[in-house]
Amino acid sequence: MALDLAQLPKTEAQDSRHRALIQGSHLTKIYATSTGPLVALDDVSFDIREGEFVSLVGPSGCGKSTLLSLLGGLEERSEGTLTLNGQDLDRPRPDIGFMLQTAVLFPWRSVMENIRLPGAILGLDRKAQAERCQELLELVGLAGFGDRYPNELSGGMRQRVALARLLAHDPDVLLMDEPFGALDEFTRETMNLELLRIWSATGKTVVFVTHNIGEAVFLSDRVFVMTPRPGRLAGVVEIDLPRPRQTEMMREPRYSELVFDIRHMLGVD
Amino acid sequence: MTIAYDQSIAGDAETGRASTIERHIAQEKARARRKRMTNRLLAAGFGMFVLFLWWLFSALGLIHRLIIPPPGEVLSAFFRVASASYFWPNVMVTLSEIAAGFALGLASGVVFGVSVAMFESVRATIYPYLVALQAPPKIVLAPIFVTWFGFDEASKIAMAVVMSFFPMFLNTLTGLASVEPNAVKLMRSLTASRWQTFRYLLLPNALPTMMAGVKLCWTLAVLGVVVGEFVGASAGIGYLIHAFNFQLDISGVFVLILLLSIFTLVVYQLIENLEKKIIFWSGM
Repeated sequence: MALDLAQLPKTEAQDSRHRALIQGSHLTKIYATSTGPLVALDDVSFDIREGEFVSLVGPSGCGKSTLLSLLGGLEERSEGTLTLNGQDLDRPRPDIGFMLQTAVLFPWRSVMENIRLPGAILGLDRKAQAERCQELLELVGLAGFGDRYPNELSGGMRQRVALARLLAHDPDVLLMDEPFGALDEFTRETMNLELLRIWSATGKTVVFVTHNIGEAVFLSDRVFVMTPRPGRLAGVVEIDLPRPRQTEMMREPRYSELVFDIRHMLGVD
Repeated sequence: MTIAYDQSIAGDAETGRASTIERHIAQEKARARRKRMTNRLLAAGFGMFVLFLWWLFSALGLIHRLIIPPPGEVLSAFFRVASASYFWPNVMVTLSEIAAGFALGLASGVVFGVSVAMFESVRATIYPYLVALQAPPKIVLAPIFVTWFGFDEASKIAMAVVMSFFPMFLNTLTGLASVEPNAVKLMRSLTASRWQTFRYLLLPNALPTMMAGVKLCWTLAVLGVVVGEFVGASAGIGYLIHAFNFQLDISGVFVLILLLSIFTLVVYQLIENLEKKIIFWSGM
């Protein structure tokens, strides 16, 4: 496993990690509904730095999924600006990868064929993809499962396949919409640790949506706290827990402090 | 399970357990096999029973042989009809009409279904008319088709096409439309083109529904041809059935109905086998 990690690209140089990669200002998204306009996102401004792990946390209807869709170029914003590396971010890009709560595997494609889907769509070199996807399969702990079909896998295994597919075309930014939310507590913890391992080995920028405050604190460099109706950014919390993160950290007073800070911002206390 | 522990006391625990599991699986399999056997015997027994009743009622003279001929007479009629010189040419006419009608109905259903599903402008232009055309019972077209296309194959093929087109069209359309929004989102995030989304997602996703359409399409193509032949034809199985009926050769009619049914069923089964191969993932 260590060998596979070594073959993946190295973490970006330390100084580049502080450069703002994604910039959003006064982002607003209004949906027209049958009961009138719905403000899903109201005047949200932020920076996301290169190589950073950011979580969007908040209750249902706080606009976190909407914000993620905007970041993925999947929806049109109503107002405001959004850029990646200074370029307008208004359509899907191959250097941004998207992962959803459900694995969305195609049952007619084997595990390996599912992982190779991005490469097939983007017309990447077949030979290089075959090698890379094999490594990714091992990276997510599914070596030997390449010829299986999604219907033969458990929920956790399917999310692993989705994770490997997310990385297949080596996007720089990973947008993850409650990727492990449908999994049981134990599997989710394991997947979170694996995600951190992969993140620290590849230096990707991650934007992670969750409604689990503890999960957000455990994973992130910064947590964007969002409140609903209309969806607003209530505040940004710097997570100063040391890395690499380990499960034991959840026992530390600083961890609880951060969790309670965020709870307070959300007004749940 | 108790046996397993008894054995494990006596000898090697692991081997004992493994052999218990094996025996258990073998028992399960045997049980399933017996159940399948019983079900088949039940069906076969019922068939024999009905056949017996048919024979008995005929032998007792309870049913007139011009209404339902006795089984023996149907069997001898089979050899009489099958060895007649007119038999094979007529069969071939009908089979080729069915094949052409089925192929054309299937192909046009898929082409129109894909076009309407994939192109908004095509949908807006022709979809309302296609739905409206579906409303009248298609059989009313049979006499008109004879006028338009004549007594030969063309009018029967046309009948089979209009009968089999709609299920194939609608199932293609429904299949292409019933896609998980998240899957479309995934394809969009990967910057897939419309064609790529069709090829990698929409089409394979539609195949189960489309295969159900193919089966409907098949039985309706047969129906369309026979109806066409009833209305006006100079050859074909439907023509023969019509002719035999006029000659009060009811056993001959029975033979043709049975042969046509067997043929339809055999091809239906072939389509089902093909379906299992094409949508292999649904059985997993």
